[in-house]
Amino acid sequence: MKLAHLLRSTALAGIVVLGGTAAQAETFRWASTTDPQTMDPHAVNAAPVLSFLNNIYEGLVRRNQGMAIEPSLAASWEQLEGENGWRFNLRQGVTFQDGSDFTAEDVMFSYERASSEASDVRSWFAPVTEVRVVDEFTIDFVTNAPNPLFPDSIANFLILDSGWAAANGAELPARDSENFATREANGTGPFMLSSRDPGVRTTLAPFDGWWDEAQGNVTEAIFTPIGNSSTGLAALLSGEIDFIEPIPLQDVGQVEGRDGFKVIEGEETRVIMFGFGHEHEALLYSSETEGTNPFTDPRVRLAAAHALNMDAIDRVVMRGKIEAASQLVPAGISGFSEANAERPAYDPDRARELLAEAGYPDGFSFGLKCTNDRYINDEALCRAASSMFAAVGLDAELTSVPVRNYWEQLRADDFDMYLLGWSPGTFDAEHPIRFLLHSQDDEARLGSWNFGNYSNARVDELLPQIQQELDPATRQTLIDELVAISQEEVAYIPLYTQPLIWAAKENIDLTQRADNFFMLRWVSVN
Amino acid sequence: MVYFILKRLFQSIFVMLAVAFLSFSLFRFVGDPVSQMTGVETTVEDRERLREELGLNDPFLFQFARFTGDLLQGDFGYSYRTRQPVAEMIADRIPATLELGTVALIISLLVGIPAGVYTALNPRGFVTQSILLTTLVGVSIPTFVIGIMLIFLFGVQLGWLPTFGRGGTVQIGGWTSSLFTVEGWRALILPAFTLGVYQLTLTMRLVRAEMMEVMRSDYILFATARGIPWRRLHFRHALANTMVPVITIIGLQFGGVIAFSIVTESVFQWPGMGLLFLESIRFVDIPVMGVYLVVIAFFFVLVNLAVDLLYIAIDPRLRVKEAA
Amino acid sequence: MLARFWHSDGFWMLRRSPAAMIAGLVAFLVIAGAVFAPWIASTDPYDLASFSLMDGLLPPVWQDGGMAQFPLGTDDQGRDMISAILYGARLSLLIGLMAMVIATVLGVGLGLAAGYYGGRFDAIVMRIADVQLALPAILTALLIDGIARGVLPSEMHGDVRVAVLTLAIALSLWVNFARTARASTFVERNKEYVQAAMIMGQHPLRVMFRHILPNILGPLLVIMTVDLASAILLEATLSFLGIGLPADSPSLGTLIRIGMQFLLSGEWWILWVPTLFLIALVVSINLLGDFLRDVFNPRLH
Repeated sequence: MKLAHLLRSTALAGIVVLGGTAAQAETFRWASTTDPQTMDPHAVNAAPVLSFLNNIYEGLVRRNQGMAIEPSLAASWEQLEGENGWRFNLRQGVTFQDGSDFTAEDVMFSYERASSEASDVRSWFAPVTEVRVVDEFTIDFVTNAPNPLFPDSIANFLILDSGWAAANGAELPARDSENFATREANGTGPFMLSSRDPGVRTTLAPFDGWWDEAQGNVTEAIFTPIGNSSTGLAALLSGEIDFIEPIPLQDVGQVEGRDGFKVIEGEETRVIMFGFGHEHEALLYSSETEGTNPFTDPRVRLAAAHALNMDAIDRVVMRGKIEAASQLVPAGISGFSEANAERPAYDPDRARELLAEAGYPDGFSFGLKCTNDRYINDEALCRAASSMFAAVGLDAELTSVPVRNYWEQLRADDFDMYLLGWSPGTFDAEHPIRFLLHSQDDEARLGSWNFGNYSNARVDELLPQIQQELDPATRQTLIDELVAISQEEVAYIPLYTQPLIWAAKENIDLTQRADNFFMLRWVSVN
Repeated sequence: MVYFILKRLFQSIFVMLAVAFLSFSLFRFVGDPVSQMTGVETTVEDRERLREELGLNDPFLFQFARFTGDLLQGDFGYSYRTRQPVAEMIADRIPATLELGTVALIISLLVGIPAGVYTALNPRGFVTQSILLTTLVGVSIPTFVIGIMLIFLFGVQLGWLPTFGRGGTVQIGGWTSSLFTVEGWRALILPAFTLGVYQLTLTMRLVRAEMMEVMRSDYILFATARGIPWRRLHFRHALANTMVPVITIIGLQFGGVIAFSIVTESVFQWPGMGLLFLESIRFVDIPVMGVYLVVIAFFFVLVNLAVDLLYIAIDPRLRVKEAA
Repeated sequence: MLARFWHSDGFWMLRRSPAAMIAGLVAFLVIAGAVFAPWIASTDPYDLASFSLMDGLLPPVWQDGGMAQFPLGTDDQGRDMISAILYGARLSLLIGLMAMVIATVLGVGLGLAAGYYGGRFDAIVMRIADVQLALPAILTALLIDGIARGVLPSEMHGDVRVAVLTLAIALSLWVNFARTARASTFVERNKEYVQAAMIMGQHPLRVMFRHILPNILGPLLVIMTVDLASAILLEATLSFLGIGLPADSPSLGTLIRIGMQFLLSGEWWILWVPTLFLIALVVSINLLGDFLRDVFNPRLH
């Protein structure tokens, strides 16, 4: 042990000496569980890709450290007069990393590319009816209805250079084969792609011609995906990497206990919840309920909510790192309903009473579907919940599957109750209403993740009003009414907000953003 | 001889086709590729269109025929996940897996055969008992636990060896090798040892069992009676006679090494084919999974052919039979 | 027979070395504990109502905060570790034994026949073996699982997981037996005594099982012992890769997979109690295997 200690301190001394002589070169190595699968910002709408590419490409607007929208490639924007939509006044003097100029043509080109059939992000532009280039640095986005949130909804709409894309045959995102933009990048952002070995190593270097001032000092950034969380933690503790996200909850103590390392904790905006098969005629995984579905009765759903002891889950499964949730967005998100911030208390007696009232004094068995690799400690959560349900007579038969099988099973209605996590992409309460609470409507693209098809006519009526209301106070009243309905009917059982846990060496300064995006421009190596 | 090899090569095409067929029939159980390729906000109709474009709605046999047809024309397709050509992705990863597997196998033979001979000749010594017990415990720990323990001991606590990846690599032609740099070797030690432990024990136990068997057989007893020196006896007569089953197992071991390398590569983030395969399972990347399995099948066919040829070289009686 | 036991190679080792004596005793206790788990364990880890999350993460009794009720502590769900490992070992042993038996019957049968008949039959069997080898165990497990899921109604899926896993492990192991049996059969078949039996017109099955099989038992027994152990380990590995048994009906492998999450967290017992128990179980099986091999191998006496 002594020898090991000696060796380690010698190694550290070596690093310090090196750092002293070469103060200019600040190499930053980081790891995450998933490799961004493409360098094309319109090909895949997935967090690992968009998070990574936000370092290279930029949008018209961007989010600051506190998640608020601020100007980026658009210097300002205002609502159009006389019609619905927004005018963006573009920043002048911005160049792409290959030296070409940024103009409204590039925005137009990127819009066409991102809203094409080959794009995976085209749903962002569903409300857009027309885009007009007004002049070299002005562009209008016309929408089908008043859309106060449109600028917020396109923070991840990243702009490509039209000339570069055309010259390299990357006018459209690659669908079933690759193109130049899959492995090469040319943005306006603070970092340039200097080498890429997919799945192994990706290197970035600062872009000297960036229009904004970097707040960090990284001169070379090396990204390595490490899938196994123990290996990743070992790589951090052995000093081979400077930063890793995420680390398992249970290892927080280990990292904090070591000299030279720190843990960065925050609340993600993702709310974890249980959903029900509201429309199912009968339970799939139950023998004694005989062609009926007890979960159609709101009292049964409320009983399930009362059966869950969130304090125990917080303490044992989630290590005291969670915030209990009352609705589908966490407090702090715009549109959060303060009027409805209470969640059903842990009350097993009340749960049994409710079950008896509903005609199930002895409870019943049902199938609970969960993921085991999607959310933090998801499998442990479901096991804990199963035994809490069992305590009031709700006998859950738990099936936990990898996420690659999960959505398929939910879409095939193969569940009685299921686990879901939802992060509001627009950071507004409207987002989960659109996807999770509105009745399923393929035509209007609403309720597309409402697997159990919860349906309430008043909710469906309220959603378009919320979307178009420009006055914040009126809008909040509408949202409050909607949240009250969903709580009364126990459309879902919101459980908690998932924590964000990152770990880094002590000498690294960085900013953790609630959407779990990692911005290199805020990183300093001290 | 030539006929024999040709016949085997012909049969190997059957093997690869069967593997391709089997793997294709199981892909739909791995998961839904479209869910993994698209984001949360992608609409149902867009998903359906992508499914159509990828040909996932076609009948199973049709998909299989298309896959094999393309394969025979040298078109390995594109990955669903990265959109890169699959042939290139796999080719990039082959050197890492082969170097890891070969070094692991060499370690297991270099240690396993002498240990097997020693423990057979001194069955009751203290050293023998220690070796047997240690290796027994070694193979009783799941590979992934050994790997993680080694990482924490040598990587984190002692800080002697890297915890992940291949270290320094050198490009020789199309082959990325980590065998020519100190960093590369340092990165190779832990995963190769982890991968080799099981094979080492198996080799040792097998050589030992065979040696003990042979040492009791009549002709060794005769030879002893004739006064042949024991060294010559042990190595020329006894060891040579243990080689048929040993070679069988070692041939099989290379397959085992490749199969087990999935776990080792995942623990050490070793950028080989196994890691690629695990990632492609996670993303239901059907083209990569399909080609990986066909490539693995090809390796197995080659190794088995080599084993059979070695038999003939070692055991003259088989040579007569094949000639007949 | 008893005298034979006493004088056998294995037992000689047992008598001579106190360490081996202890190993033998441990082997006995571990296997007995696994077999009689329902009668020994204080709680039933399958019964969700018998444990509470509030008891979760309790350390073993000798550490601060430990409770006498849970001598080796509890896991992240509040399950008693002792009960969990006893039931877990029982399930692991069951899966391992069944998989090994299936693999042996299948592999030795096909290998003997392939070696005996040679020619086209041999070629077909060996190419099927090649196909099997080319499919990693993880994929075989996915395949069997997938077929079961396709064939059986969804509410039965949970019940057949053990059978699915057993079959997948058996299929990953039979090739070893087949190839070894075949190789040895090739050699044996050309020996005079087999040739003589064949010339005398004995039934091929009789030749295979009466004359050839006993003479190739040596290497087969080695593989059987090693493979029973590796069947149990394979189960653990498949769990690690995420296609093992569900967490609420845990085998040792599943317990270790869950425990891996606590490798660094300070709750060492959740990983090491099942891991050490697995090591004890596998070492015991291997020792027992060595011992049985010596006893039943006629050529060693």
